[in-house]
Amino acid sequence: MKLRSFKHLLGGGLKNIWANKLMSVASVGILIACMSIIGLAYILTENVNKTLGEIEQQNVVMVYFNDINSVRYGGAEKLSTGSNISAASDSSTAVSSTGAESSVDSSTTNVVDPNEISDEDYLIHTEQEALALCEKIRSVPNVASAEFVSSEAGLEKIKQNMLSEQSEYFSFLDGDNPLSCGAKVTMTDLSLFDETLANIQAIDGVDTIQSQGDIAAKITSIKNGVQIAAWWIIGILFIISLVIVSNTIRVTMYNRKLEISIMKAVGATDWYIRIPFLVEGVTLGLVSALFTTGLLYFIYQAVVGTMKNALSISQVIPYSNFAWLLFGIFAVIGVVSGFLSSLVIIGKYLRKEGSEFRAI
Amino acid sequence: MSKIDTQIIQQQAVAPHQIPLIEFKGVSKTYLSGTNALTDINIKINKGEFVFVVGASGAGKSTFMKLIMREEKPNTGDIIVNGYHLHTMSRKQVPMLRRTMGIVFQDFRLIPTLNVFDNVAFAMHVVGAGSREIRKRVSNALNMVGLGHKARSMPSQLSGGEQQRVGLARALVNKPNLIIADEPTGNVDPNMSYEIVELLTEINRRGTTVLMVTHEHQLVRDFAQRVIMIEKGRIIADNSDGGLI
Ligand SMILES: Nc1ncnc2c1ncn2[C@@H]1O[C@H](COP(=O)(O)OP(=O)(O)O)[C@@H](O)[C@H]1O
Ligand SMILES: [Mg+2]
Repeated sequence: MKLRSFKHLLGGGLKNIWANKLMSVASVGILIACMSIIGLAYILTENVNKTLGEIEQQNVVMVYFNDINSVRYGGAEKLSTGSNISAASDSSTAVSSTGAESSVDSSTTNVVDPNEISDEDYLIHTEQEALALCEKIRSVPNVASAEFVSSEAGLEKIKQNMLSEQSEYFSFLDGDNPLSCGAKVTMTDLSLFDETLANIQAIDGVDTIQSQGDIAAKITSIKNGVQIAAWWIIGILFIISLVIVSNTIRVTMYNRKLEISIMKAVGATDWYIRIPFLVEGVTLGLVSALFTTGLLYFIYQAVVGTMKNALSISQVIPYSNFAWLLFGIFAVIGVVSGFLSSLVIIGKYLRKEGSEFRAI
Repeated sequence: MSKIDTQIIQQQAVAPHQIPLIEFKGVSKTYLSGTNALTDINIKINKGEFVFVVGASGAGKSTFMKLIMREEKPNTGDIIVNGYHLHTMSRKQVPMLRRTMGIVFQDFRLIPTLNVFDNVAFAMHVVGAGSREIRKRVSNALNMVGLGHKARSMPSQLSGGEQQRVGLARALVNKPNLIIADEPTGNVDPNMSYEIVELLTEINRRGTTVLMVTHEHQLVRDFAQRVIMIEKGRIIADNSDGGLI
């Protein structure tokens, strides 16, 4: 096709929009509505993901190491079996509200005299060994971080998390610290929570793991739910967009049937007839995309206010982070729906011939 | 195509005015509705001829014209127009066939929102002509039909006869070698009809083959040309051999 023909046809498509003003405005309006909802679904998903990500980061897994304290306060059965590494199968997933409680329990019941313990009874003797173990944990797939926590720091942390009166209870320890050293571990993907825990547990020197696996599972299921809902919304509204644009194109087609019958009579190729319709459809889509990207800025500002309170989200993602991506998504939706619907609609009529065409 | 070319060259060497531009061989057309519109049509129309197609309403005249334009396809038989074998050509080639002919409609088919000039230019845009050529050729075509001074008028400001002359200019502007006109005077005052046919005769004199359907007997009598008469889907008379109806 010659360039000048193409320019002519481009103009033709834009003229169609103008000639069909009311319908064009109506369809741009509906397209904007569809795209806005799609955009909001996307923005909400992103914010929910971000918030959940923050929760994920806080969902710390505490891995305790097999050091002298773990033997001293870990219970008699560990000693009696002579096993250096505890299987700790139940404690790895069991939820204990604080690490302290269980430690307090064990400290009162199963204290072993330090003199009875030999170096062979446990694996982590020095901080060097503990740090090396942290390094090993870091190399486990899906582990985001593994930060060494000395037994003193661990106890301090537990005390900090309690009310001052409660921390009084620790006074009976009288300077003795029953906690093992360990590592604070975070994960990249909580849906792999159980596998990752099992992998960490399998490392030599790991004693017990304290975690909140049910929160991990909940976060994963919320994430999936939000994702699925967002895809459904996008899919349904995309179909609506298709229908809207094709209706507009159909009306233009109808209004232009005289011209098309003449075009065919004087030897227009199929593409010559199609292009103005494609231009019309694609332009409607692009114009809607542009408007929606602007409009969503204001909607987002309004929604952000309510969302912050309702979902107690600390910080929302600024709109500028989305703007280009959203425009990209809208442009794709607009162009694809404009292109597809005009192609389908005009394709149906291209097979018709002059007099048939006039009879539509 | 090349076969046809050599055929044309061979025949040209013998008799230049006897080149068949249109050839029907055993053509029959039955519409999907079951109406048998044309039966066993065999005819040759040579380059440079002026042919009237006459017959009663419903005889099959329009069907005959639509087959030539390839708006319809025959059920049986072969049609060759301007070297295109219509029965074997692909849909993609149809626009090229149409560019070799100028079609004049009974209802004019002018675009009401475009002025006279742009209505004629429309046909040139479709074939991708440049704007300078469009200006020149549209003016020539309008002058030829005597409407050079009405280039800026809108179709609604013109009489039926004038509108049809615009239609004629549009059919001519791409320099076709065949003009197809199905009842071009059907919506025109009788005295204006005369003008239209005179124009067509002039166009024919300049070398363009003209095929025109009419049921105005007076016109046929006044412009003594070849007349093909169709009745109930069959050609019942053809004075190509010089005979009169
Ligand atoms: N598209 C069509 N579908 C079915 N029947 C048709 C169609 N066009 C024409 N016919 C029928 O074919 C016959 C010939 O029609 P037509 O060629 O238009 O005749 P004419 O132009 O001589 O009046 C008529 O009986 C008409 O009703
Ligand atoms: Mg007819």
